[in-house]
Amino acid sequence: MRIVVAEARMPFVRDGAELHVQSLVTQLRLRGHDAETVTLPFNGRKEELLDQACAWRMLNLSTSNARPIDAVVATRFPTWFARHPRKIVWLIHQHRAAYELFGTPYSDFTDSEPDTRLRRQIAALDSRMFGECERIVTNSRNTAERVEHFNGVSARPLYHPPPLAGRLRAGAYGDYVLVVARLEPLKRIDLVIRAMARVSSPVRLVIVGDGSQRMELEREAAELDLGHRVTFTGSLWGEPVADFYAGALGVVYAPFDEDYGYVTLESFLAAKPMITTTDAGGPLEFVRDGINGFVCEPASGSLAAAIDRLAADRTLAERLGGAGREVAQTITWDGVIEQLLG
Amino acid sequence: MTPLRILILEAQVPFVHGGAEILVRELASALEARGHHAQIVSVPFIDSPKDEVFAGAEAWRLLDVTCAGSRSIDLVIATKFPTYFARHSRKVLWLVHQHRAAYELAGTRFSDFSHTPRDVALRRRLIATDTRVLRECVGHFTIARTVSDRMLKYNGIASEALYNPPKLAGRLHGGPYGDYVLTVTRLEHVKRVDLAIDTFQKTTSALRLLIAGDGSIRHDLAEYIKRRGLSDRVTLLGRVDDDRLVELYAGCRAVLFAPYEEDYGYVTLEAFLSRKPVITARDSGGTLEFVTDGVNGYVCEPTPDALAAAVDRLGADAALAASLGERGHAVAASITWDNVVERLTEAGSATQRDRAAL
Repeated sequence: MRIVVAEARMPFVRDGAELHVQSLVTQLRLRGHDAETVTLPFNGRKEELLDQACAWRMLNLSTSNARPIDAVVATRFPTWFARHPRKIVWLIHQHRAAYELFGTPYSDFTDSEPDTRLRRQIAALDSRMFGECERIVTNSRNTAERVEHFNGVSARPLYHPPPLAGRLRAGAYGDYVLVVARLEPLKRIDLVIRAMARVSSPVRLVIVGDGSQRMELEREAAELDLGHRVTFTGSLWGEPVADFYAGALGVVYAPFDEDYGYVTLESFLAAKPMITTTDAGGPLEFVRDGINGFVCEPASGSLAAAIDRLAADRTLAERLGGAGREVAQTITWDGVIEQLLG
Repeated sequence: MTPLRILILEAQVPFVHGGAEILVRELASALEARGHHAQIVSVPFIDSPKDEVFAGAEAWRLLDVTCAGSRSIDLVIATKFPTYFARHSRKVLWLVHQHRAAYELAGTRFSDFSHTPRDVALRRRLIATDTRVLRECVGHFTIARTVSDRMLKYNGIASEALYNPPKLAGRLHGGPYGDYVLTVTRLEHVKRVDLAIDTFQKTTSALRLLIAGDGSIRHDLAEYIKRRGLSDRVTLLGRVDDDRLVELYAGCRAVLFAPYEEDYGYVTLEAFLSRKPVITARDSGGTLEFVTDGVNGYVCEPTPDALAAAVDRLGADAALAASLGERGHAVAASITWDNVVERLTEAGSATQRDRAAL
């Protein structure tokens, strides 16, 4: 099939959605489809939103160069406004500021009359566009619930393998637990560092990633006298990350209300148990307490106890990790593409 | 120099990859290499049914390209129809081409616009709108004189041709003047590959024709070659990678490139950078800006007989091919990205406009 994957992106900005779209195109091509991205510039300013939706509406993607395009996969606002008889939505997210972020500091919408009208308009138009689509799937259950709640459209999650999937492998259950995350407040790495101060077994913590909190976190580790037990590797990509996964005892991931989070699946594909928290969002779609990891209260003592359990019993770590791998292995691109195209 | 934040505006034809796409990417790298921040912004261009071209123009008009996030964009560079419909106070045009089917191709077999009242009205409206929007640009450049001539003729707007080196410029090199003539082209009607094939029914020398490239009429052309009994003299190579292409250029006797009204065509410059003469036709457009008959190649009537005579001259005399190719090289070597970047950014810079205002 000739498939267009539609994307909207702010010039000069790179994000996870871009990676997601690229992977999809690559995987479609690997399966013999002729796939291509169509990317229009996106600007999050309120006063531009409807114009941009309108610009997408102007595009009749039924044909290109006089040959039919068989399907369009829309990914985020306002890509589903494009005209095509066979539109499929694989929802990464809507314009969040007009939806679930409204009323939080992350939204520029106020409760003024024009803003309220605009929010309603966007929700109504989105709903109408979703009505034109053959199928709506989302990147996570979290996103599916939002679209059901706000647009009254039923959608189901379609999980996809993480970008690192092909490189991950199991290795020894070593003497460290691993964190892989951007060093940002929402990822709550400070919580993991404080947990380390309460861990009694001789386990180290390796933190892969970089971000605005790097210095602060390093200072915190030093103040807790954890300098020799906590290692910051900075940003790493590809093979070195797979190596750290392979040698870890387990993976700790305690973000606040994550959408999806590739780390859970990466950890499982490396046959490592995951320690997460009851309020972590996305990871909870996969992690079962005592089966493939531990779901703890978001408190340092509770995380420390989980780490100590793994350190004391490597066969437990292996058993939980193995169970996790079985979960992650059911998520394949073959399955994704089959369900996406129907 | 102050680094500028620049958007290059591109009209994407999904599933079709051609010269304009390469041009835009090369421009982005050239700008980045000189310290600017450049990004490409594309909107798909859909031309069927015909009216959809107006919707595409409207889409460009609606999109905001004046800022990205909280930071403003200093300059936008429009390339093809309808990218110049974008709104920006510093919009510089480096025109690749307009909607050719509504311009110089109308009435030819290469256009879907015919001489019906509806089509004529559509064309008029399109050209009038183009003219109005093109006038908004603060600088007018084109990729070739052919394109400038057209814009002057149809829109009454003067512009300067600003040439750029082909993508393979740094890698092309000379080589033996071998036993084949090379054609490098997408296999589309407007490239007149059938004319090149017919030429080899008329040649008497032992030179063969190798055609590198792929396109929508590949199958038809393969049939055509078979039907003409030319399978032993003409070969369709399909799409070849860059390494192979460089070697194909290096080893050929000459390059034959006789499209109809080509805008620019990198092939001419690539041939010259490989020190090979170019055989072209007098209605081939862009190639004529560089090829001078008898000096660095041959400019022929667009007929198999005329082209065959040129092929045969070079077939009989490899030393002649070498001397023509050498003179072609001198022409191509003077074309640089430094010049392109400087002219485009100058035209869009505030200082220039402020000076003009004084």
